[in-house]
Amino acid sequence: MSVLHVVFKVAGSEYAMPARDVLQMESFSGATVVPGAKAFVIGIMQVRGRVVPVIDLRLRFGLPAAERTVDTRVVIGLHGERAVALLVDNAREVLKLDEAQLKPPPEIVAQDARGMVKSVAQVGSRLLMVLDFARVIGEE
Amino acid sequence: MVGVEPVVAIAHLMEASLRAVDQGKAHLTAEATDLLLQGVRAIEQRVWALRDGVPIPEAPPSLLARLEAVDLGQARPQTPPGALGLDPALSAKLAPMDREALLQGLAAGKNALRADFTPSPERAAAQINITSMRAALSAHAELVKVLPLSVPAGPQAPGGLAFAIFLLSALNAEELAALFATRGLKVRQLGRAPEQSGVLGEEVEPESQDETEAGHSGLVRVEVARLDETMERLSALIVTRYRLARAVTELASSGADTRALSQIMAENARQLRDLRAAVLQVRMVRVSEVLERVPLLVRGLCRKTGKVVRLELDTGPAEVDKAVAERIFPAIVHLVRNAIDHAIESPDERKAAGKPEEGVLRIVCFQRGSHRLELSVEDDGRGVDREQVAKRAGREVPQNDAALLDLLCLPGLSTRDEATTTSGRGMGMDIVKRIATSQLGGELTLTTRPGQGSTFTLRVPLTVTIIDAFVFECEGHRFVAPVSMIEEILEIDPAKLSHGPGNDSLAAMIQRRGEALPILGLAGIFRLGASAPATRALVIRRGGEATGFAVHRMLGQQEVVVRPLEDPLLRVPGISGATDLGDGKPTLVLDLAALAGRALGKEAA
Repeated sequence: MSVLHVVFKVAGSEYAMPARDVLQMESFSGATVVPGAKAFVIGIMQVRGRVVPVIDLRLRFGLPAAERTVDTRVVIGLHGERAVALLVDNAREVLKLDEAQLKPPPEIVAQDARGMVKSVAQVGSRLLMVLDFARVIGEE
Repeated sequence: MVGVEPVVAIAHLMEASLRAVDQGKAHLTAEATDLLLQGVRAIEQRVWALRDGVPIPEAPPSLLARLEAVDLGQARPQTPPGALGLDPALSAKLAPMDREALLQGLAAGKNALRADFTPSPERAAAQINITSMRAALSAHAELVKVLPLSVPAGPQAPGGLAFAIFLLSALNAEELAALFATRGLKVRQLGRAPEQSGVLGEEVEPESQDETEAGHSGLVRVEVARLDETMERLSALIVTRYRLARAVTELASSGADTRALSQIMAENARQLRDLRAAVLQVRMVRVSEVLERVPLLVRGLCRKTGKVVRLELDTGPAEVDKAVAERIFPAIVHLVRNAIDHAIESPDERKAAGKPEEGVLRIVCFQRGSHRLELSVEDDGRGVDREQVAKRAGREVPQNDAALLDLLCLPGLSTRDEATTTSGRGMGMDIVKRIATSQLGGELTLTTRPGQGSTFTLRVPLTVTIIDAFVFECEGHRFVAPVSMIEEILEIDPAKLSHGPGNDSLAAMIQRRGEALPILGLAGIFRLGASAPATRALVIRRGGEATGFAVHRMLGQQEVVVRPLEDPLLRVPGISGATDLGDGKPTLVLDLAALAGRALGKEAA
């Protein structure tokens, strides 16, 4: 069974998320800073009338923040009742991933990613890391 | 009921009476109401006969005769917004229900009053502030509404702030003013005093009848202002609880055994939560009640446009907060107007298109999840013409319904070449969208199919919190804070601020009425940088102690809808929610008391 995935780039690597967990994608027009929130929460934005936190995935992964460009996007993911926006370097592709393509990440990668990478898919010469969205937004 | 003569005869006479009432030319006497109800029953019987296929009895001549001769009462005095004799700008700030409450109070023989209170440092020093004023006034009068007003700052109003308090009281303006003379309250009489108009005495009767009727069904009518007050008191209780919890924690850290206390605290927290839920529950109104007037609206629109429309209401048991109901109703009215005026075709046009002559307008609503209401207005009309909308907007033809809705919601767009009598005067879909998104924190969606109809769906939260808030700026960031929390707004002269030893721009002191007032820099607490000195301080009182928050600029004051920040990533003490000031971007709502606590904690650490 193949599942439609949204593909996006963070610091040169490619990540994917099942499209059914994505509410929408849009270009980034700024967030309202929430002083006192965790450093990787760069603020809040309004999406379809909802106020959602915005996580800079670079900061979440422990990487330095990058300049925002015209390619910068937010991917708004859904987890139960929660909606959280992820700031990524770009997002311009959706593709179908077959379940058989999804392999558990090598242990060293899994450890390094603190559980935020659920599986790895090889697509041609590319390696896509499927994000564990729940972990990224701090759910166990 | 076309062609069913007995029904037509009865309905026709009933309609004539009701129209006179609807147009304000008459009001329903008890006798007339009774007669109308008899008419309804007579129609029902004939409809059943029609359904069962038995011969339809003639309309009872005695009923017809009595309906024809029904004695309608004199019209009630008109109650236009001006009836209170208020300045129109101020009158516009009062909600219709507040005006109604004042007028009803007047009609019931009370005095409707406007009291003006201007806070000042001297008064604040004597413990006279808006909170104490409210409490003192409520002993003598019923508070209908407290409106904060921006006034030019000057010796009379150092904070640039005044309050207009609208009251109903047994006392008249002079009596009340005399009671509050030392506290600087100015009182004015609104509308007519009851003794000057003899007619009003008669009005009291139907009013009290209403009440007995309500009593029979176990209902009480309560003014929303009273519920708001209850909620405010409850909020104070919750703040006290936070302080209590903190004190218990301190006690525990000093080594005391607080297990028994903690148990009581947990119980207390649960009870407060339940109480809060119960109070919120009281504010809920049924959506079916909100939509009560829609059938009348549809009838009126049909008459004006010559269209034939059947209204189907499917509202179920869903309930929303009164504040949501008040905001959502104008949006529904607008969607219904649009549907009948633009979407549903004339009977001839429909016949030509192979549709039944009668158009159908459906309003469906239900609760979705535990927090949201979904309400859709659906018609079987011509659908929204993408090309036409694009042409009018001067944009490209939208590729999907969402993009089409965006175009429809552009301010000032009207899809009719000429404004019609009922809609299309520029008060467009943008207002509906603004109500759904900015005002209520919900969304508006559209699905439309050419020739088959359109559905507009509003998804809004069941409850909203609305507060009067000051808007201010700090290092280029905008924030709001509830007016009710702020005792005073001080102008601060940076030269007169004294910083403590080794301090990191977080705290300073300033002289206020001979006392040292601590000033916390909001920019410092939030680490927003420090490019310019602060010019104003918002003074709050927390546990009896005054604290000032230094900010850069006051931007004004307005009513805002607070949306709680529910996501765990956004739970930060001192930030109670977000609001939309109309720019589509969230602005943080600050809880300055909690923020003071947070700042002190930081200093101690």
